[in-house]
Amino acid sequence: MREEVKGNWSEIEIRNVSKYFARVVANKDVNFTIRKGEVLALLGENGAGKSTIMKILYGLYQADEGSILFDGKEERIANPKDAMRFGIGMIQQHFSLVFAHTVTENVILGAMRGIIPYAKAKEQVESLASRYGFDVDADALVGDLDVGVQQKVEIIKALFKQTTLLIMDEPTAVLTPQEADQLMEFVRQFVADGHAVVFITHKMKEVMEIADRIIVMRDGRISGDLRKEDTNEAELSRLMIGRDIVAPEKVDFEGRDHGQLGLIVENLSLSRGKVKLLDDIDFHLRPGEVLGIAGVSGNGQEELCETICGIRAFDSGSIVLDGVDLSELSLREHIDQGIGYVPVDRHRDAMIGSMSLAENIYLKFSTHDDWNRHGLIDANNLRQKTLESIEDFDIRAPGPDVPAGNLSGGNQQKLILAREMRLAKKLLILNQPTRGLDLGAINNIHTTVLQARAEGLPVLLISTELSEIFALSDRIAVMYKGRFMGIFLPRELNTERIGLLMAGIVPDDLAHVADEEIRAEVV
Amino acid sequence: MGKRIGASTRDLIITNFVAIVAGLVLSGLLLLLLDINPIQVFSSALTTLFTDRYMAAEVFLKATPFIFTALAFAFTYKANLFNIGAQGQFYLGAVAAVSVSLLLDGKIPTPILLVVVLASTLVAGGLMGAGIGFLKARYNANEFLTSMMSTYVALAFMNYLLRTVLKETKGEYPQTDALSEAAWIPRIVPGTRLHLGFVIAVVTAILIWVFLYKTPMGFRIRAIGSNARAVELAGINSRKIFVIAFLISGALAGAAGFTEVNGVQRMLIQDFNPDIGSAGIGIAILANANPIGIIFASILFGAISVIGTMMGRMPGINVPPSIVSIIQGSVMLFVITAYYVRAIIGIRRDKKRLKREEA
Repeated sequence: MREEVKGNWSEIEIRNVSKYFARVVANKDVNFTIRKGEVLALLGENGAGKSTIMKILYGLYQADEGSILFDGKEERIANPKDAMRFGIGMIQQHFSLVFAHTVTENVILGAMRGIIPYAKAKEQVESLASRYGFDVDADALVGDLDVGVQQKVEIIKALFKQTTLLIMDEPTAVLTPQEADQLMEFVRQFVADGHAVVFITHKMKEVMEIADRIIVMRDGRISGDLRKEDTNEAELSRLMIGRDIVAPEKVDFEGRDHGQLGLIVENLSLSRGKVKLLDDIDFHLRPGEVLGIAGVSGNGQEELCETICGIRAFDSGSIVLDGVDLSELSLREHIDQGIGYVPVDRHRDAMIGSMSLAENIYLKFSTHDDWNRHGLIDANNLRQKTLESIEDFDIRAPGPDVPAGNLSGGNQQKLILAREMRLAKKLLILNQPTRGLDLGAINNIHTTVLQARAEGLPVLLISTELSEIFALSDRIAVMYKGRFMGIFLPRELNTERIGLLMAGIVPDDLAHVADEEIRAEVV
Repeated sequence: MGKRIGASTRDLIITNFVAIVAGLVLSGLLLLLLDINPIQVFSSALTTLFTDRYMAAEVFLKATPFIFTALAFAFTYKANLFNIGAQGQFYLGAVAAVSVSLLLDGKIPTPILLVVVLASTLVAGGLMGAGIGFLKARYNANEFLTSMMSTYVALAFMNYLLRTVLKETKGEYPQTDALSEAAWIPRIVPGTRLHLGFVIAVVTAILIWVFLYKTPMGFRIRAIGSNARAVELAGINSRKIFVIAFLISGALAGAAGFTEVNGVQRMLIQDFNPDIGSAGIGIAILANANPIGIIFASILFGAISVIGTMMGRMPGINVPPSIVSIIQGSVMLFVITAYYVRAIIGIRRDKKRLKREEA
């Protein structure tokens, strides 16, 4: 039998909790209360300590100082099992699902002993799903489901364990706008049933939409504890960032007459087995233009970047940059053509955390003669260039010799961008360049992108953040299952239209636009 | 920052020292079980070590091949590759050394002969290493397995030669003729066996350090070891680097064949130095694969080896010869434990400092 759930508390108080990791203060003197019947938003930039404090409540981490009180009574939560006993459920940013198992099997995982009454469990899963309007097949394999549906499975899993406090960590990051709306609907209903929700996010818009109360965190501390009706977005962003952010200015590239210059991609296709990773992609990206590619991640964006950069071979089509056919060139020759590439996963593809800033810059220049002298690395020159990059890109680091892994995510990304800007003489490709970064760094990177645009560089910008796409792009393509759903001007799109396109549906009022050729005449 | 580095260096010295003492204490306890007084045995051994010039020189003599095999392991280790086959590459180096020496001694002047012999050992070990690297690069064969198994091939090959073409003129034992004096590596301390090979080993270690940390190729090797995909995406062919890293690694192990054949044994016999490959792995780990650290770690292991030999020869006390392996093994065990202890101490200290600063 399941263990007794003591979820009938009415408030949880987090009192003076501090958590130290080896070199950072993750939480310091954190105090707030979670109440039943309330959506509490935890707002803050990446690294502000939102996830950490919730992982402490969920028993994944232990606090170094402070205590957790349920209706005034101190309790120890040593592991997630303890947390579940108090009715606490948490949906991590990365789901914990077994892909080869069915929805029902995933839901009952860890909640059953002995012989499993599968039919009964399935019934329970279905009733939970229908109660909250989730369209989930209880017998489907989780690996076959879309990310949005997988999230619903996670929610059902929590509900099955009689969760009364549901913690969700950046739940909308993987969703289309429509799916996000459905999620919000669920949150409202769940709280109306007398439960509590903690919604961890760095998006102001979501906070204003869903929260009853807002805890703002900065540098591991609470910088604001407010009711929604008493505050506004300006105040929240000030609390969150601690200073005002000035949006970068857009200056157009002067020389507009550039004929066939830039990047021309024609009929580009790539398959793996029966799956089409890239399906007949066509576009012409001109100097001084930013082409934004929107879409839920995993719809071929990375494959597109990698074929253009020469990392991946393609099946058919052509890629021509400034009149040079790239298809026969090696990876090294692609780089030497002047392509700068900031990949989506810098830790995997672009950076060596244990090596210094200087060495990370040198990584892409080790074969260049002017970076070496007498067979040795030209250390003075490298140091000089690294210092330049640190200065120009405002990289906050103690010096060129510290390991890149010691920097914050934003500064690491600025380092990669600094290196790639040295290479990007003809083309700059950015795949989700601001994912997971704080607003200061995002602003910085946007400035660099717009500067590159003003200087006449063609920029291919892949992003899942629609605000970023709209802020920077001259034209916007939406990618779905390896295909372009069309290339549009920003004014032709809005959140709803782009949301439908991201789900593979062409809105009726856009059909005429999407059908057109690559809209070469539109600039 | 400076203060933290100071503290971590202190940790390194203290923990390693404690680890070595603990290893000696553990082996001492085993001696106690044999009714031998460990304090008497150790103190007498240490006294000899510090007072007898011959025995002191033996320490550096023993350290010489260790430096080479440890460098061999460390070199590929920097590229996150594992060369477990230094023993086999050493055997091929030894075969090359003895063959070339026997072929050419007396025919060309000693300095030139020695250079030629050294070069031949580098080629022999290097080719074997490059072969392993090629299998890795071309067929993605697990280098751990191929390098380990290659040792047995090299051993069988050496034994085959010792029973056939290289067999002594007398035809009695599976061993070669002794080299003539013209093929000996000159001794550097009179009255001892210490030869120039030790100096060559130290210089090699320094050169390897320069290569790894100051040259573009060394950089690429280290970078591959930390994040091979990022290096690939920078347009660098990692397969080529696998072959180069193994080539150099094998050549380093081959050089140990030169110092041992021409410097110490002056002939090649069956079951020649069967443990220097595995000792090299341990020493490289002890030194955290740092070429300069390897010099000192090798001297430490040379000392342990000499102490063990002395203990085995002490009059009136019957110390089993396997005690050397036990001392080496237990010191290694504690040294590796010390590595983790240091990490924990470091984290604790950082945390404490943070708390103090925040308070």
